[in-house]
Amino acid sequence: MIEFRQVTKRYDSDHTALRQVNFHLDRGELAFLTGHSGAGKSTLLKLIMVMERPTAGEVVVGGQQLNSLPKRQIPYIRRHIGVVFQNHQLLFDRSVYDNVAMPLEVMGASPNDIGRRVRAALDKVGLLSKEKMNPMQLSGGEQQRVGIARAVVNKPPVLLADEPTGNLDPALSADIMKLFTEFSQVGVTVLIATHDIALINEMGRRQLTLDHGRLVSSRSAAAAGGVRGY
Amino acid sequence: MATDPRQKPDNRRGAANRAKSPLNAQARSYLDHHRKVARDSARRLWRTPVASLMTWAVMGVALALPLALLLLLNSLQGVSAGWESSARITAYLAMDVSLEQARAAAEEVDTDGRVLSVQLVERDQALAEFRASSGLSDALDFLDENPLPHTLLITPQDSARSAEGVRALVAFVEGMEGIDRVQVDLGWLQRLNAMTDILARAVWALALLLGGAVILVIGNTVRLAIENRRDEILVAKLVGGTDAFVRRPFLYTGAWFGLGGGVVAWLLIQVSLWWLNGPIERLAGLYRSEFALQGPGFDGAMALIIIAMLLGWLGAWLAVKRHLDDIEPGDIAGG
Repeated sequence: MIEFRQVTKRYDSDHTALRQVNFHLDRGELAFLTGHSGAGKSTLLKLIMVMERPTAGEVVVGGQQLNSLPKRQIPYIRRHIGVVFQNHQLLFDRSVYDNVAMPLEVMGASPNDIGRRVRAALDKVGLLSKEKMNPMQLSGGEQQRVGIARAVVNKPPVLLADEPTGNLDPALSADIMKLFTEFSQVGVTVLIATHDIALINEMGRRQLTLDHGRLVSSRSAAAAGGVRGY
Repeated sequence: MATDPRQKPDNRRGAANRAKSPLNAQARSYLDHHRKVARDSARRLWRTPVASLMTWAVMGVALALPLALLLLLNSLQGVSAGWESSARITAYLAMDVSLEQARAAAEEVDTDGRVLSVQLVERDQALAEFRASSGLSDALDFLDENPLPHTLLITPQDSARSAEGVRALVAFVEGMEGIDRVQVDLGWLQRLNAMTDILARAVWALALLLGGAVILVIGNTVRLAIENRRDEILVAKLVGGTDAFVRRPFLYTGAWFGLGGGVVAWLLIQVSLWWLNGPIERLAGLYRSEFALQGPGFDGAMALIIIAMLLGWLGAWLAVKRHLDDIEPGDIAGG
């Protein structure tokens, strides 16, 4: 579902964020992306979302070659990629419902459709009763779950998360991870960038480790089983 | 609506089916979206009434000024057109021409195909009229004899009322025997026409400049709106909003600014007309003219508002074009 072939990303002459990165994630696979700060985790995620283009190599998402993708097509690729951020990127000028509805609105879904799918997504993250509230009134963990609901509301085949548990305590982190596991079980490819070594070890999933832009370990946890849960 | 989580896969399929809905359903949701965006951007303007009103006022003044001049110009052109069509040729006969000769001359002119009618004003009659209208009767009593000649008032046919036609007719009358002088009061009319032509160009130049100013004002206002909604734009781009989707609310904002500005301009024009019409009627009355300032009318008001909305839309479009591309979600996902 996500494939990197010899991907190099150089920002300017003296800063190379990624060097010849190779990996492949299957449909329904859940993997962690780790590494020190500045190792290139965010760059890798940005390449998948076509926020950046690789200097060399190929990025393929869902069979689509992203290098040669015209700029006009970028929005349509992003509709197939859900993203969860550490700082949620929620809009505080509208309700939880309207926040989650945004990906459907940009697709031009009908209001009925939007209503049903937004409520299904909020139900999934356990926030159905708070749809009319402003995200500002919610706790950090709830805000993160709203962000997740927004990321999955249009059923993207790929889900990216950048430090999704960065500000959360271990119990809430475990909740969030459980959600991600459930998504991968229904076939969503999930890639989570995180520092949280304890969490990674507990999950026992595949781990992509970056060090100064190089992929130093791509330990496949296939033996552990894609649907083992935890 | 706390649905059982196990029902989710069904929901998912239902949604997928609906995504393949026929084209008209898509069109409907597209229109729904437009309506929603239009309503939402109008509501945003209402939420900051003072700022919106000021923008409308600026636009209104900038639009009302050229429009007022255009209306004035139109009224002036209406005046000259009216006079041109009633152009009359006055032929003064020589002093030694007798009444019989004058009658013969009038008949001769009347037989010409280009002439609609001829009126002979006899010199005695002319003196009597002059005495009555000028108030100089005492002074006239001192004159030994009537200083006024017989006069022919010639009204040309419609077909001969062009500038060349009148000129040819004048040449013909001048060539007749016993005619002393022929006068056509078109000179000042031509000067007026030349002046209105210059004025028209000046007004159009002014209209263009002020239209440009309107576009810039709206562009700047929309630029601020874009800055205020930066987060929203980032998120919309992140979740796959096309450029058109991101642009839309701002284009509507520009159009609403235009609508308000057009209405303000119309109000300004109406108030000015009401304010000026009394004095102008009096002035025109003194000149025995039918001149009156013409208002924009319903069509004009509609045209004004549509043009104002287009200008607003254009200003917004320029701002959006220039600033939206700068907002890319690249910097959203921190290091």
